[in-house]
Amino acid sequence: MTRGSDRVRSQPQVDVLFDHADRRYQPRDHLAVRYEISGLGQDQVRAVEHSVAWYTEGKGEEDLGVHHFQRITDEALIPPATMVGSFATDLPASPLSYEGVIVKVRWCVRVRIFLAAGRDFVSEHVFDVGMIPPAQRLAGRTAADAEA
Amino acid sequence: MRLPRFFEKKRGERRTGSQVWASVGEAAFYATLLLAGLVFGGLLVSGVAVPEWRINHDFLPARGVVLGKGLQRRSVADPPGVVHTTWAPIVRLRFPVEGAMRDVWSQPLTTAVTPDRETAIARLQSLPSIGAETPCWYDPDAPEIVVLKRGYNWSMWLLTLLLPGALVAFGGSGLLRAVRAWGKSEEHRAVAAGLPEKLAPMGQSPAEAPGFPGVPACDNLVNSPGTILSYRLPIESPESWALLGFGLFALVWNAVLVVLAVGAGLDLMGGRIDWLLFGLIVPFAMVGIGAVVLFIRGLVVATSVGPTQVEVSDHPLHPGRAYEVLVAQGGSGMLRTLELSFEVEEQATFRQGTDTRTERVVVWSQPIKQWRDVELSPASRFEAETMVRLPDRAMHSFHSEHNVVSWRFVVRGEPDRWPPFCRVFPVVVFPAASASPALPSVIRKAAR
Repeated sequence: MTRGSDRVRSQPQVDVLFDHADRRYQPRDHLAVRYEISGLGQDQVRAVEHSVAWYTEGKGEEDLGVHHFQRITDEALIPPATMVGSFATDLPASPLSYEGVIVKVRWCVRVRIFLAAGRDFVSEHVFDVGMIPPAQRLAGRTAADAEA
Repeated sequence: MRLPRFFEKKRGERRTGSQVWASVGEAAFYATLLLAGLVFGGLLVSGVAVPEWRINHDFLPARGVVLGKGLQRRSVADPPGVVHTTWAPIVRLRFPVEGAMRDVWSQPLTTAVTPDRETAIARLQSLPSIGAETPCWYDPDAPEIVVLKRGYNWSMWLLTLLLPGALVAFGGSGLLRAVRAWGKSEEHRAVAAGLPEKLAPMGQSPAEAPGFPGVPACDNLVNSPGTILSYRLPIESPESWALLGFGLFALVWNAVLVVLAVGAGLDLMGGRIDWLLFGLIVPFAMVGIGAVVLFIRGLVVATSVGPTQVEVSDHPLHPGRAYEVLVAQGGSGMLRTLELSFEVEEQATFRQGTDTRTERVVVWSQPIKQWRDVELSPASRFEAETMVRLPDRAMHSFHSEHNVVSWRFVVRGEPDRWPPFCRVFPVVVFPAASASPALPSVIRKAAR
């Protein structure tokens, strides 16, 4: 089982199991995920959302693309009735995971728990699509310009 | 009760809590704009549109006799203590209302109002003469309101409704967007993007290649057939933008210089010498002359080198495949070197204070071929073909709203008598998964 980040104080915890233990996928691969929620304490859950998305990191503003999204509000399918969930999707042909110099593209599975108190808790689990080697900055080839 | 959280952890596992407050703030901002637009628009409609509409629809026609002429004076203290006076020519009319005759001063025409009394007196001449009969229209609910002219002032309508219209459109679409995003996660908002999001004031994502999210469409790169190979690539010359920038700078700077010089010349003709102004003009003139020289030099370089053309045997490109590339260089003279290279550039757009900045970094560059001592002749251009093979695990072209990974051919030349030049030819690289096994993909035109 591949786990997310360490538990923070009394926060909920989401353990995610990918069908590829190394979390490496190829474009158009089938992705299957099983997750388990724990540590909710007295918090009531209104809804659970799970999604498969890519986002950009680096120097630029963050861009987000959602490939798979599902919001579950059926009380029989969310805690406390059930603490586990699963979903599957076929990955698209692009974009591929990319570790650039100022532009990075990452894929992730997100499980977001909406609590009755109004706040929500999100657990993010990064995986790779494709096998692109990291890019490196070439000396003397940088330019910046103000646009507005 | 929990206080709102304004700052949250961005990655990994985290609680979020500021979204509702952010939505409240955003909605309140747009609602204020919408309300301001509605109130402002309402005032203009009630003050301008409704009276004009009533004159054209509700007022009754009559024929009146001009009894006299005069000026209407209107004084307004704005700001308090400063009185502004306007004058408008009007006439006193006698006309029948339900069998009885009424003597009434006409309403002034909005186009005849002037702050100058003499102008208003001159405009009295354009009104009907005393004793003459003239058509008029009066308000059946208040016969003391009578006008000599009907019709719509469309330019005034346009001007008065432009600002409230913009406020209503901007505030309304923003409020709709905020309401639609209310309580939704960023993933939910991303999949539910509709018209309000498409009308968002910030940038838009570019057109994607069908079936390849994040990969830019290459329709504009394959609509120009090559002379020898399949496609002629469009040029993206950074030098052209620099030249345009130099030209605009030289124009604006020298326009300011001319204004200063005219002022100084008038002073000189009047027998006065403003040493401060002259002291300012000298460095201004030096910069202005320098800008013109740089612009002319750039223009000469750009036009003297001659056009560069790059053609490719197939497009879009795929990692692991080989392609034929043709480089053609026109013009005359000698090039010490002419070099073709293949590059990957990353481009990130980000906000820095109130500025939006773009940073570009070349992260991969492969020299393909270099030619030395190229003799150019106006009669026949230089042409050379070569092969380029993309790495098996190359990143594909990527284009999102603020981040770009782009591939391009770059032609750099070093003329004998002119400064070096650099010309860029963008291409689109698709992901390897879409390609068939790595085989040379050399497609020549049958007409070759």
